[in-house]
Amino acid sequence: MRKVIWFSLAMLLAFSLALAGCGGGTETGGDSGGGTANGGSTDGETAGGGSEPKEVTLQFMHLWPAGSARQQNMIVNSIIEQFQNEYPHITIEQDILENEQYKNKLKVVSTSNSLPDIGMTWAAGFLEPYVKGQLFAPLDDLLEDGFKDEFVVGTVEAYAIDGKTYALPIELNIVPVYYNKALFEQFNLEVPETYDEFRHIVDTLAANGIAPIALGNRDRWTGSLWFMYLADRIGGDALNRAIDRSGSFTDESLVRAAAEVQELVRANAFNRGFNGLSNDEAKAEFLNGQAAMYLMGSWEHPNFTTNDEIPQEFRDSVGFFKFPIVEGGSGDINSWVGGPGVGLFVAENSPAKEEAKLFVRYFVEKWGEQAVTEAGVIPATKVDTANVDLPQKFIDLLNELNSASNITLFADVQMSPGVAEVHLNMIQSLFGLEIEPEEFAEVHEEALASEQ
Amino acid sequence: MTASIRWRKLFYSLIYIPLIAVALLQIFPLVWLLIFSLKDNQEVFTTAPWALPSTPRWENYVKVWSEGNINVNFINSVWITTVSVVLTVALASFVTFAITRMQWRLKSLVLGMFMVGLMIPVHSTLIPLFSLFTKIHLIDHPLSIILTYTAFNLPITIMILLGFYYTLPREVEEASIIDGCSVNRMFLQVILPMTTPVMVTTAIINMIYNWNEFVFVNTFISSDKYKTLTVGIQNFVGQYSTDWGAIGATLMISILPILIAFFFLSNQIVEGIAAGSVKG
Amino acid sequence: MNKVMSNKWIIALYVLPGFMFLAVLVYIPIVLTGYYGLMEWHGLGEMKFIGLGNYIKLIKDEMFWKSAYHSFLLALFSALSLIGYLLVALILAGRIKGADLFRKIYLIPMLLSSVAIAQLWLKIYHPTNGVLNLLLVAIGVEQPPTWLADPKIVLYAVFLAILWQYAGFYILIYYAALKNVPSALEEAARIDGAGPWQVAWKIKLPLISGVIKVTVVLAIVGSLKYFDLIYVMTGGGPNGASEVMASYMYRHAFKSFDFGYSSAIGFFLLLICLVVTWLIRKLTASDDHVQYS
Repeated sequence: MRKVIWFSLAMLLAFSLALAGCGGGTETGGDSGGGTANGGSTDGETAGGGSEPKEVTLQFMHLWPAGSARQQNMIVNSIIEQFQNEYPHITIEQDILENEQYKNKLKVVSTSNSLPDIGMTWAAGFLEPYVKGQLFAPLDDLLEDGFKDEFVVGTVEAYAIDGKTYALPIELNIVPVYYNKALFEQFNLEVPETYDEFRHIVDTLAANGIAPIALGNRDRWTGSLWFMYLADRIGGDALNRAIDRSGSFTDESLVRAAAEVQELVRANAFNRGFNGLSNDEAKAEFLNGQAAMYLMGSWEHPNFTTNDEIPQEFRDSVGFFKFPIVEGGSGDINSWVGGPGVGLFVAENSPAKEEAKLFVRYFVEKWGEQAVTEAGVIPATKVDTANVDLPQKFIDLLNELNSASNITLFADVQMSPGVAEVHLNMIQSLFGLEIEPEEFAEVHEEALASEQ
Repeated sequence: MTASIRWRKLFYSLIYIPLIAVALLQIFPLVWLLIFSLKDNQEVFTTAPWALPSTPRWENYVKVWSEGNINVNFINSVWITTVSVVLTVALASFVTFAITRMQWRLKSLVLGMFMVGLMIPVHSTLIPLFSLFTKIHLIDHPLSIILTYTAFNLPITIMILLGFYYTLPREVEEASIIDGCSVNRMFLQVILPMTTPVMVTTAIINMIYNWNEFVFVNTFISSDKYKTLTVGIQNFVGQYSTDWGAIGATLMISILPILIAFFFLSNQIVEGIAAGSVKG
Repeated sequence: MNKVMSNKWIIALYVLPGFMFLAVLVYIPIVLTGYYGLMEWHGLGEMKFIGLGNYIKLIKDEMFWKSAYHSFLLALFSALSLIGYLLVALILAGRIKGADLFRKIYLIPMLLSSVAIAQLWLKIYHPTNGVLNLLLVAIGVEQPPTWLADPKIVLYAVFLAILWQYAGFYILIYYAALKNVPSALEEAARIDGAGPWQVAWKIKLPLISGVIKVTVVLAIVGSLKYFDLIYVMTGGGPNGASEVMASYMYRHAFKSFDFGYSSAIGFFLLLICLVVTWLIRKLTASDDHVQYS
């Protein structure tokens, strides 16, 4: 007994010392205690050589777990299977995390320059630091031979920086106002075309003890959608210009949009305690008939069409409308908030960049064919609405998408991460009536200006 | 005299009222979790926590079992937790003994250095540790999390042991040394058995920490074959929405093993052997 | 005796393995955190040395001080609630019938992961369907508070959840400590005519004073770097009303991508903990630990 303990102690000591040696910066010689780990996926392939296509293993990190994104996950797996059959020398390994953990891991691994070969990224502001750090490979060669025309106009561009494209989008969403037809009927309300009509709806519902709008503003980007639409309808592209610095955030129309948000809060337009609720909690109030409207991305569309977990009766009673226009404002009713969601990137230092690119293109093509019909996800590639079998509500949405005059990318994605964080916090204060609209604008202006 | 006994009896029976009330309150979370795990998203959010689901959704459990590879995760959780706990408690006992019972000049400095380990926020360490493990090729290897768990739980384990070791009477050592014991034998055969209750206490605490930990696992481990039960939760958190009923089922499944282990271990927290050995 | 107990080889053998773990896995990150704190670094690309720039920014950062204030408040509450935990442990370790069962039940919540605990408390605080507000409405309160959405209440609402989360941890430690007190001592006191309170106050508490000191340090340091429930339940919001130092640091690292500044916050947090611990040890310093005799 004693000997065993001594032996294990000695082993531990030796092991710790070996570790310490490694940590001191010396490369592991291979026979030290710490170096016995498997070398990871990308080590094996360099050993090959010769004229035969060498065996390649690609790491693919994504955020569609089988549990919460069953259909997406199934499509991913079937695409990978098809791909591996066509290219037997390539093996794809998946690392699946949920949204928040995914983003964190992406950041941590990028600091050590050990990104997966293929992964998912968001557009614009999210993408920028990775591109500046030269971590993502340009994918422009994939877009030649007319492949770029397969995408909805403006989607690929959201992933371009200084003329080069760094990811191919696979999702596209717009943000309609979902509403409960039954509740609207009960109070004789019509779909609003103008903001005044919309305010009338809010007042009527609030007076009758129904929460007019479900909002989970703990997540903050949810409230940002309201501000963005008001800014768009009042000031046209004032918000975009403020962010790209051709304009200012203290623009009168943006201040007015902020003031209008506070007017809505004062009119009890939102459910009680919205600043402390998550989007999931707010959505439940809408699905439960406690709230009449819900401004949310079209990724929710399956919940109102094909999702069996929600009663058919309720799904049928949900409609959507375009955010109404504000009289005297310069916005257009066919202008949407939305944009591409995740896109696929290839790591710049991937040892098998060509194979990874091959997979990305393969994936985007196959994905475009199946995404809408099987998972209810609108791909960023064009969908031929005449030839797919979809619920009418989906066709309506796709038609709206086709006639969109403009799609404004989500503000927190447009902005760089630092400014986005300021914006999101300010949104919570604005909705909480903790700051004045002028101050709201000034804080934004300051944050945006300091980035220059 | 009899009056005072009667009062005392009354007092003791009165004390049960708050005790039972608190006990019910403390058991409620478990009951809540069970109910929660049988609901769908709608019921989770819009019905009262104690309200039973209209139809219990046992399929949440089926979903959890059939999707992903929970068997592998489960086995990983068990062995990774066990190895880390044993390693931590053993190492911490050695250190604490040396610091509290042996005489050397640097001991308070060394104790201070161990305590510094309590003070670093976990998220500050992610990036440095990731790059360290990448350099020594331990990324995506279970050792990376075992070593991390051990290192990060050592300080708190030592701290808890410390308070107990201080109270052990000096006579124990003196008696042992006079008997001709070596330090090692004294520690392993006399001191360690005396500290069983506290070792068990720290083992329980370590077990809970390691079992529920997910930040390090997510960051250091990529392969499914090494992931632990906490990925079960990941599995049901979506990009835009989350399957809460299934998460409840995952939480319920993952609490059972430590509940059993806890009941078993906490039976070991009995009166120390201190009293007996002092006299001997 | 002294010679045997100061054998350098044995000391090294006992201390070094544990120390090595910390040296590699804790000190290296600490040193690197200190180093990154001197840089302007956004995680990717070049680091730029800016000396104490981040720290100067930190000193002037109102939001940081607000979060530091919240952390200290939590530390204060945690330390005070130790008294309550100790009381419960004293009762449980006493000679009441069924103490063993009570103890096990009392510690059950401790086994739950933060994810579960956060969900439970979110259900309690929900503004319309939550346990608390359903009760308040039932007893006739017309406009019950919105708890987590109210910047004046949110902090305390989350604190309550945190204190509850850790109750089991401290009760367990105290319980084990009290059980470790030799029953012979208690018997002797009782024979001398001491009542249960006197036994607790005069015999038990002095004997576990070392453990109590340790828990004070653990509670305070643990609170100063606390993160879990705050992040899940409120994300530090609304607009920073429940932000603590660790969540503020996390926000800068993983939301704003400002690793340099976030490392400075992390390192500063470490320094604060060090100073506070040193102060506690100074205040409670006494070398003569009470031993069983």
